[in-house]
Amino acid sequence: MSAAGQGPDIDPILMAVLSRRLEAIIREMSNTVMRASRSAVITNARDMSCGILTYDHRLICVEEAMPIHVSALDLTTRPITELFDAIKEGDAFFNNSPYLGVTHHADMTLCVPVFAEGKPLFWVLARSHHADVGAPEPTTYLPFAGTLYQEGVHFPCVRIQEDFHDKEDIVRIGRHKIRSPDVWYGDYRAQVGACRIGERRLKELVERYGIGTVRKFVEAWMDYGERRVMAAIQELPAGTWRHTSTHDPIPGVADTGIPITAEVTVDPKAARITVDLQDNPDCVPGGVNLSEACAKGSGLIGVFYNLDATIPHNAGSAGRIDVRLRDGCVVGRPTFPAGTSVATTNVNDRLINAVQCCFAKMGVPHGLAEGGGDFSSGMGVVSGIDARDGNPVPYVNQFCVGLSGGPGTHGHDGWLTYEAPNGGGVLVLDSIEVDEAQYPILMESRRIAQDTMGAGQWNGAPATAGSYRSLSGDCSVFYCSDGDTNPAAGVFGGHAGTPSGNWRRPSNGEEEPLPSFHEARLSADDAIVYRSVAGGGYGDPHERDPESVAEDANRGWLSVTRAHEVYKVALEKTTNGIDYLVNEADTTKLRER
Amino acid sequence: MASRYSICIDIGGTFTDCVVVGGRGLEIHKTASTPPDFEHGFMDALTLAASAEGLKLDEFLRATDTIVHGTTVSTNALVEGRTARVGLICNAGHPDILTLREAPRKRAFDWKLDYPRPFVARNRTCEVRGRFDARGNELEPLHEKDVRDAVTYFKACPVDAVAVSLLWSVIAPDHERRVREIIKELWPEAPVTLGHELNPIPREYRRTISAAIDASLSGIMRAYLERLEGAVREAGFTGSLLVANCIGGMMTVGEIARQPIYSVMSGPTLAPVAAQSLDAAPDMVVIDMGGTTFDVSAIRDGNLIVTTEAPINDDLLGLPKIDVRSVGAGGGSIAWVDAGGLLRIGPESAGADPGPACYGRGGRRPTVTDANLVLGMLDAENFLGGRVALDPAAAKAAIQPLAESLGLALAETAYAIHVTSNENMIAAIEDITVNEGLDPRDSFVVAGGGAIGCHIGEMAQTLGISRFMLPRMAAGLSAHGGLVSDIRGEASATCPTSDREFALGPVNETLSRLRAEGEDFLDRAGVASEARSFSHSFQARYKYQSWEIDVPFDGAPIVETDILSLSAAFHRMHERIYTIKNEADEVEFTTWTVRAVGLRNAMLADRVPAVSTSPAERGSRAVFIGAERAYRNVPVYDIEALAAGAVIDGPAALDSRTTTVFLHSGQRAIIDEAGNCRVDFSLVQATGHA
Repeated sequence: MSAAGQGPDIDPILMAVLSRRLEAIIREMSNTVMRASRSAVITNARDMSCGILTYDHRLICVEEAMPIHVSALDLTTRPITELFDAIKEGDAFFNNSPYLGVTHHADMTLCVPVFAEGKPLFWVLARSHHADVGAPEPTTYLPFAGTLYQEGVHFPCVRIQEDFHDKEDIVRIGRHKIRSPDVWYGDYRAQVGACRIGERRLKELVERYGIGTVRKFVEAWMDYGERRVMAAIQELPAGTWRHTSTHDPIPGVADTGIPITAEVTVDPKAARITVDLQDNPDCVPGGVNLSEACAKGSGLIGVFYNLDATIPHNAGSAGRIDVRLRDGCVVGRPTFPAGTSVATTNVNDRLINAVQCCFAKMGVPHGLAEGGGDFSSGMGVVSGIDARDGNPVPYVNQFCVGLSGGPGTHGHDGWLTYEAPNGGGVLVLDSIEVDEAQYPILMESRRIAQDTMGAGQWNGAPATAGSYRSLSGDCSVFYCSDGDTNPAAGVFGGHAGTPSGNWRRPSNGEEEPLPSFHEARLSADDAIVYRSVAGGGYGDPHERDPESVAEDANRGWLSVTRAHEVYKVALEKTTNGIDYLVNEADTTKLRER
Repeated sequence: MASRYSICIDIGGTFTDCVVVGGRGLEIHKTASTPPDFEHGFMDALTLAASAEGLKLDEFLRATDTIVHGTTVSTNALVEGRTARVGLICNAGHPDILTLREAPRKRAFDWKLDYPRPFVARNRTCEVRGRFDARGNELEPLHEKDVRDAVTYFKACPVDAVAVSLLWSVIAPDHERRVREIIKELWPEAPVTLGHELNPIPREYRRTISAAIDASLSGIMRAYLERLEGAVREAGFTGSLLVANCIGGMMTVGEIARQPIYSVMSGPTLAPVAAQSLDAAPDMVVIDMGGTTFDVSAIRDGNLIVTTEAPINDDLLGLPKIDVRSVGAGGGSIAWVDAGGLLRIGPESAGADPGPACYGRGGRRPTVTDANLVLGMLDAENFLGGRVALDPAAAKAAIQPLAESLGLALAETAYAIHVTSNENMIAAIEDITVNEGLDPRDSFVVAGGGAIGCHIGEMAQTLGISRFMLPRMAAGLSAHGGLVSDIRGEASATCPTSDREFALGPVNETLSRLRAEGEDFLDRAGVASEARSFSHSFQARYKYQSWEIDVPFDGAPIVETDILSLSAAFHRMHERIYTIKNEADEVEFTTWTVRAVGLRNAMLADRVPAVSTSPAERGSRAVFIGAERAYRNVPVYDIEALAAGAVIDGPAALDSRTTTVFLHSGQRAIIDEAGNCRVDFSLVQATGHA
């Protein structure tokens, strides 16, 4: 066992100030990306993340970032120093290649080296999920794209700025290939703004405290992360656990579904965790294979979801978790040019569920149930022509209006605005008014769907259901709805949540079901109807506090019938004829049986 | 000519502070707050101030031009969940806006937490059919029957007030207005808040939550303000009565009664305003320790910090607000021992009634003030200038059970309470400095509140802060702010347009309407025409962006040739904030704002004499010194008798009629020309804080 923990001596106030300062810099960077970008998926949903690494590729800090974006950031900056010799101040590197360390092709990532006193010290990084990538179809998720050649434009780690100025030829590649080029360029410039702000703030920091102190801090901070994670691992039981979660069938890609298995081994004595993902299927002939960044990142995420959330997620803490990957595996290092267009969601969400549920097998109070995955048409990529203001303009954007429900855990119900395992519940739910102002879409309804949550002593969160339609001619909606067949499972007697679903509702009002992996072409008379995946429950629903059951009924999440049948709780109306309360006597009788 | 007065009265949970300027200069008076009828404390304070001037209350009030009021009524109601029951009317299909929010913020890796409940429960929410789109086209007419059914439902629940927030009401307000007409017809007495009137911004969650909070406060605030204004008018006041609002300005009583949400954190917002007038330091931390809460704010680069995402309980306030953060840690906070045997302080407070045990008004539970008395920090005979006699035996009796369960001596227990309370306040200071990546040691600290003088010396030591100030008006810092603050009102309206096809006519109509509203406001506030000034700004974005930035511009009306300069100002501001601009891109203007300002003269340059007129040293008293774990006799000074330039070295106690400052060994206090106590800590080393 190595002697972690004896870091360089640093004043504890300074340690707190500098770590918070770096978080504040990332917040300012993230704020810039979110507010200065153009696509709703970035400005509203916040499908973006920023980070700071040491120049030798050790992650220092992430703040309010999406876990899948940032859990293997070292893989993103490493190719830069491998591919380029003369890296200078004023350079910026742009990359969306899953084979050069990026999560998937829509997560276009800008990296800027930060120099102080002539020495390279840090990388600042801004990763945004762009609304379009110039793929054959107007979507950033292509489940049927078996190879990289079907994915659209790739910037395989290129220098896009020198001396702080755009290289027009590189920018022209994007403008040439990507739909709504002005929106794409505006989104890219917001990343430039964020990285340059991060660069400026880090230089101010070094000027204020000196390179020596900042370097000392970085080492102390890594040690602190390692100490914290070691202490957490030492509290876990020793052993090896396996859990399998199966992705829904995708016609022609994986007709029987894709079972994903994680094996987690905890060695409290050595304070190490191993996540073995090698016993999984080979790459499939579609776009749902994971990139290496996703596979490694998700192995870590599933573990960190089960540890104290205040542990810093830096290279120090990650160093205690060994994620074992295999070449050519659907959740490993994909074989070039296998398709990875959908690498961040679907199979990836199954992987995180598999890892996090291994912890539930350690026994109560450990672990989480399965969380609802991505992504029904409530997260669809919509495109068409906006002719509302006379002059017709093409648009394409992913809307984030229907998020899936989170998993139950010991002591707490699932988080309602969860989205999916990959997102950590940090995605922002779209404002209906902002979506409707920018795009010719009417969000007819959006509500929490009754009787959907995975019942448990602690429930999985319910699904969100709604519908939307075009206000300006035809439109197309792409989605990859994993969870229509295999729902999010419960643990310790907790029930599964309801599956997701997608329907077309023509003007006659008769809804017809749509396929799970699909491009729906809608006329102006059609609405698309979605329901997200509900989270799995934790523990036996008969053990749920009857008062919580009454509250679920009062907020419309649960019907009286299901309260009776599933939770064995009898409810009755109060004197105002509106509110429910628990009928204690009948409930006792029901639960005695 | 007889002297004229201006007054600010700031009511906290425990004390009512009254600062008067005019007559004898700057004077402060403190009385007990009188919840739930806070207006009684207000009148008590005025009576006290009048008698100090040797006037009858009616004479004093007739000689008073302006009374500014900061009030805790709405903040307390929200924090304690004692607001009115609200019913919400929303669009059919969208009943969960207040539950879903914009997805509440959480730590990415944390699942050990509960999803927050909505401000208005789902079974107090009614959907009505009727819909506009983003361009203001009516897609479905309002179904009036749905509204009538909702009123019947709300009466059955029952609720006390109704918030109405419909999609696109900022562009097309007709449905919201019609909903109110129907409610008024069926239920005339129900207070109704319309989203588009209160908070005319797009983003349905923010508009809806602000409307719901506003509705929840309407009854409480209206009743309070009616009682208050009735009482003060009856007593002879004819001048203007203004209430401080949450954006660093003031509103007339009528305006606050119509939009009570603006009174949230009304008093505490004045504290940083006061600090700005006391020192020119660009970066300051402003703290204010009352009886019930501890409030922290900051000045950065000389400016107050405005946040558009101010949290209130589990929600956003939905409106912009000065960033003042409040924790339940005041002099009246109750000390207790939790199940794990750990000493805890607050958030429960003994408040004004019964108050700390040592007030002898029936309080039995130990408070921070009781601990300070046992420690000798406070003088039992001389508290608040001798107007309140403290009972040391009652303080000891209250602390004794705690001492027994902790297994400590009485003085040690009192010291543990004192230090734990310091730690709670330090955490709040760190929240607004360290958590924002700012080193508190770089800031100048302005400390207010009657009780802060006992704590700040040791807190500064712990935090490593080298310089702080206790203003002469420390005991009424917010009330002082109400006298130095300009009178400010703000009016905004949505008028969307773009630099490609600028809607000159509608924009100018909007601006002149807003200007007229501003003039009306200054009329009501009694501001003379020569003291008026107006400033303008617009909120704009690049096409397809969804977050606007606020850009100031020079005056109205706008002429054709100004349009280019409006865009240019936007590009410059965008570059300043985000380091980038895209000059070829279309600029969309959304909201227009006119700020109306009534300038107050700097009338507070009140000097302290350079030579002391009475002896300042008053003997000594025994104070428990934490570092020595023992009582020690320290000299006591009357701070009001100290001349400008006087220097006192710690350890020492400095008493005044409203506060006590305890200086630790190594701390040096210097009285400045305005009578403020400036403490320099450079004589000792920071001990560090783990």
